[in-house]
Amino acid sequence: MARMKFLCDAERCIECNGCVTACKNEHEVPWGVNRRRVVTINDGVVGAEKSISVACMHCSDAPCMAVCPVDCFYRTDDGVVLHDKDLCIGCGYCFYACPFGAPQFPQAGAFGLRGKMDKCTFCAGGPEKDQSAAEFQKYGRNRLSEGKLPACAEMCSTKALLGGDGDVIADIYRERVLRRGRGSEVWGWGTAYGPGRPGAQPPQQQQQQPSGTRS
Amino acid sequence: MLLTRKATGQAAPQQRLSRTIPIAKTIDRRTFLKRSGVTVGAGAVASQLPFNMIGEAEAKNEETGKFEVRRTVCTHCSVGCAVDAVVQNGVWVRQEPVFDSPLSLGAHCAKGASVREHGITHDSHRLKYPMKLEGGKWKRMSWDQAYDEISKKMLEIRKQSGPDSLFLVGSSKHNNEQAELLCKWVRLWGSNNTDHQARICHSTTVAGLGQTWGYGAMTGSYNDEQNSKSLMFLGSNAAEAHPVSMLHTLHARENGCKVIVVDPRFTRTAAKADMYVRHRSGSDVAFLFGVLHHIFKNGWEDKKYLHDRVYGMDEVKKEVMAKWTPANVAEATGVPEEQVFAVAKTLAENRPGFIIWAMGQTQHTNANGIVRASNILMLALGNVGRSGGGCNVYRGHDNVQGATDVGPNPDTLPGYYPVAVPGSWTHWAKVWNVDIEWLKKQYASEAMMAKPGMTVSRWIDGVLEKNEAIDQDSNLRMMIFWGHAPNSQSRGSEMLEAMKKLDLMVVIDPYPSASAAMFAKVRKDGAYLLPAATQFETEGSVTASNRSIQWRERVIEPLFESRTDHMIMYQLAQKLGFADQFIGKKDGKQLLRLVKGKGGMDEPSMEDTLRNEINGGCWTIGYTGQSPERIQAHMRNMHVFDVKTTRARGGKDAKTGYDLTGDYYGLPWPCYGNAKIKHPGTPILYDTHKHPMDGGHAFRALFGVEKDGVNLLAEDGVANKGSDITTGYPQFDHVLLKKLGWWDELSDEEKAAAEGKTWANDLSGGIQRVAMKHGCTPFGNAKARAVVWNWPDAIPQHREPLFSPNPALVEKYPTHDDVKVLWRLPTLFKSLQQQAVKEEVHKKFPLILTSGRLVEYEGGGEETRSNPWLAELQQDGFCEINPKTAADRGIRNGEYVWVSTPGKNPVDGSNVRLKVKAKVTEGVGPDTIFIPFHFSGWWQGEDMLPYYPEGAAPIVRGEAVNTATTYGYDRITLMQETKTTLCQVAKA
Amino acid sequence: MRRGLLLLSALALAIGLNACGERDQVVVYKQGKYQGKPDGLPWDSESPAAELRGGKWTKGDRNSWEDQIKQRQLAQHEHKRIYQ
Repeated sequence: MARMKFLCDAERCIECNGCVTACKNEHEVPWGVNRRRVVTINDGVVGAEKSISVACMHCSDAPCMAVCPVDCFYRTDDGVVLHDKDLCIGCGYCFYACPFGAPQFPQAGAFGLRGKMDKCTFCAGGPEKDQSAAEFQKYGRNRLSEGKLPACAEMCSTKALLGGDGDVIADIYRERVLRRGRGSEVWGWGTAYGPGRPGAQPPQQQQQQPSGTRS
Repeated sequence: MLLTRKATGQAAPQQRLSRTIPIAKTIDRRTFLKRSGVTVGAGAVASQLPFNMIGEAEAKNEETGKFEVRRTVCTHCSVGCAVDAVVQNGVWVRQEPVFDSPLSLGAHCAKGASVREHGITHDSHRLKYPMKLEGGKWKRMSWDQAYDEISKKMLEIRKQSGPDSLFLVGSSKHNNEQAELLCKWVRLWGSNNTDHQARICHSTTVAGLGQTWGYGAMTGSYNDEQNSKSLMFLGSNAAEAHPVSMLHTLHARENGCKVIVVDPRFTRTAAKADMYVRHRSGSDVAFLFGVLHHIFKNGWEDKKYLHDRVYGMDEVKKEVMAKWTPANVAEATGVPEEQVFAVAKTLAENRPGFIIWAMGQTQHTNANGIVRASNILMLALGNVGRSGGGCNVYRGHDNVQGATDVGPNPDTLPGYYPVAVPGSWTHWAKVWNVDIEWLKKQYASEAMMAKPGMTVSRWIDGVLEKNEAIDQDSNLRMMIFWGHAPNSQSRGSEMLEAMKKLDLMVVIDPYPSASAAMFAKVRKDGAYLLPAATQFETEGSVTASNRSIQWRERVIEPLFESRTDHMIMYQLAQKLGFADQFIGKKDGKQLLRLVKGKGGMDEPSMEDTLRNEINGGCWTIGYTGQSPERIQAHMRNMHVFDVKTTRARGGKDAKTGYDLTGDYYGLPWPCYGNAKIKHPGTPILYDTHKHPMDGGHAFRALFGVEKDGVNLLAEDGVANKGSDITTGYPQFDHVLLKKLGWWDELSDEEKAAAEGKTWANDLSGGIQRVAMKHGCTPFGNAKARAVVWNWPDAIPQHREPLFSPNPALVEKYPTHDDVKVLWRLPTLFKSLQQQAVKEEVHKKFPLILTSGRLVEYEGGGEETRSNPWLAELQQDGFCEINPKTAADRGIRNGEYVWVSTPGKNPVDGSNVRLKVKAKVTEGVGPDTIFIPFHFSGWWQGEDMLPYYPEGAAPIVRGEAVNTATTYGYDRITLMQETKTTLCQVAKA
Repeated sequence: MRRGLLLLSALALAIGLNACGERDQVVVYKQGKYQGKPDGLPWDSESPAAELRGGKWTKGDRNSWEDQIKQRQLAQHEHKRIYQ
């Protein structure tokens, strides 16, 4: 049973923004709405700069779904979190709840004129007839029903962004980790089990490295 | 619900997330600017749409309309990522990745993933119809009217001042056929005053590499990096300029390859490096020779390779050991000895390896030396001529390689046949089916015909310089910008003066470009804009940086009233009187068929151009084997090509039955001989491990047979695999063939054509065929030169940039002497540098100003800044400034600043200054300021929107850094020094 | 008089009970349950045009769709293209 996920390999992401424009292109997302963005942390800091692409993570226990007052969210059998724009009241509560900033609002203004929430759909469209014009106008393309995967993941310049079934992603990523001899430094061993410092190594591999160089 | 369902570790991830984000600086280039400009977006602003709509559907009719898939290639850089364009009812509706492509594997960067925008007509910022500047306003006109007025004016000026009063700036974004036709077009007009983006991009590379070992192009490929053990990026920010190439680089790195980045900035590429070295902009020769010093000192050079295949390394070694001691290197570059040594050791221990560069090496006054120093380093390590090693030159625009090879260059005809050699003209007159005597008469004189023209980097001097000082009769009076922006050339403030003086300016481009705005700012009339079609609206071939040739299918009809470039060429030629010669119509024969283009109008056939002109004439660089049929078969069968070697494992094209076995993808040039002999292309240059018919190659015997008693040909035992001659040999011609007794292997037809000819002008290809049959490379088998004795700097020298921050170093490493005539113009070097020292310019402008690229934009930027999906990502012109530099001047992140340079505004003599936002980052050192060069549309703080034609201004406008860059040109090619000048920054 | 009062009370009753006959104007939310339109399953959709299809699967057969999608997903793994 496929469980759709995204994984952005920060060791590969070069902030080329290919994923961002691929999404804009595929769904004709208007200016001001950013379904996917690339964030770079520690810009310019030698040895610490990392880039990572962020969109909706299609959480198993989605906070957006939990807090929506009109319950316009649902999760498909593949784990994709979608919502019904016709029901959405634009309250923005999902925006507060989401830890990734995925919900986007097409309106901008000081007094709460938000419009319907829009977000990454994992290229799975929404609750309209698949591949219909109505679905495209409201939610964008439905690539999954065409047998394709999200445009952002398919077009990533360095294959950093992986999108699709979680098992396959795990296989792909595992092979990369094996070849590299280590995992991603952003969320790797050091962040999960160590002092929370990016790049921290398990104790037996601690070694002093001169600044500006990495093994 | 998330918070209540707490297992022991559940809350912790939540905590970590909030803990790390404040620590890490989340301000990155894109977000910090984006917050300010949400409402800048014109047109499809979301607030205009009803609540539940997100976008307009293009082809609203979902039931009818067949879908067609057209395979094309992205037009934004030289990696050449294939794109599958889905078209319905003539509308470009979808874009899909091409996973099978051996070059890109389906990957795209921001620009490639958004090329479909070129097919969108609503709210397009394209130039939609011909326009004329009248009374200070851009007025619409018809094509016929435009042609009439333009041709009338051109002929009038020609009558008064001769054909050399025209400067035709061609384009690296034309496909090969259009580029070659444009080269012909300007020659039929009668002038060598033509050029294109390669001048300001890799002209120094082509010259430097060509003079070292024969061909001036990437020696390997992006794919070949997967076979490398080390990769040194010196002067390349590939993560932003060639993002998809990083797929190969990072894959290599994950398989053990060492990546070193040497750059004054800590770029996105440097963030992925194993080793990062910060050096001073322009000090590359010192750095490279510093590395070489350690290599020689420790005996790490490949002595056998040097003995067998390189001339002059001993001289270089002597100089490097004496002059480039660690102390000198540290003084010139700012890099401590341990780092230089670490680099040398890594490169020596990890062979084969590539050195990779782009503008960081090429855009300097001594770039010819920098590029050659890179060559020398690779030769010393024995890296050239093997898989995984050599000089990987990352070209810029999508077809700058092709345009350089066959397009409008001032000093060469297609295929690098020099204009100075009469034989080149007879060769091409024959290929073009043009009467050579008629051609000679088109020129002002035979002397002018043989004289290389001016360069695009100096066209303003061609207009403004004193007439006695230029090496042609009249100054330049008319400019045609045919697919080239003006804000990529330096000294923009003086360009405005030049525009004031021009009699005529014609811009032929899909976008008005900054030329229109700049011209309208200072003039009331005298300019025309003609809408050209993009490369998605025509078919044709394009050469990627790795010399592979790909074929683009036409996706859509030219939009609005635009016409393809070759249609415009033909129609203008009709008005100017050389239409017949343009299509090679003579003596009952017509070289190029006319096919029906947009609106049923005639245009020359692209396939005929490739087959009859490019394949028919470019014997020197092996553009002869890539027939349209072969490369189209490659495009249809990408899946059979192996990624590491780019070779086809087998396969037969379903459509034509063509057998792909053995071909290298795109038949990378040189692909010698005609298509019949099925040469597979040459993926790696100078590689003697393979038989020539298998893709093998050697150093060209271009420089003679011996020099000062030393053999210049390859030593005994050094020849291609399977070669019948197992030592060095000179270029093949009919004499050599006869001497070897191979003459009778030619067919009678071939003998007739080859009699009296060399391998380079034998139109039958017989000499090449027979030479390769015997395992020999037709251009000879020689040594590479570490010493280029015919250049001012035989051994590369470090010379300080004209505007240097350190007068003591200027004293120690001065620049060249002034040259009275270089490419028809007087060129200053030392006098300017001395004047700058005398006036203490470095005190008034203490910071180094360097420029470079951003991933979202390309070139002059008007095209990409008109694409809302890209424009949204970079909405403001900005500069990168170090925290200390900013703090010293009271500048905060995101504030506007004035960056001023020694460049002057001719009107009042004030210093040029640019208004940009400050991005405070540690990525640049405290002595450097970086400004991306893609912006235009602001002039020293003033928005030039009123000067653009209505509806055709780019969405994002900003300061063009080249408005402020200063005088400085390469000694050999007149490449501009846009990587190193001086500036001062102050709060706005 | 009594008749008028009867009429008045009948009218008041009629007005008062007026609302009972109408339908609920307020949507009754069942907390935690999706309230929107139904959505189709990706493997169940009408077969898209051949030029748009990412692969082949049998309509309605979830497993064949999943197999096809996972196969396509391997294109994101450059090793597949390089070492195939």
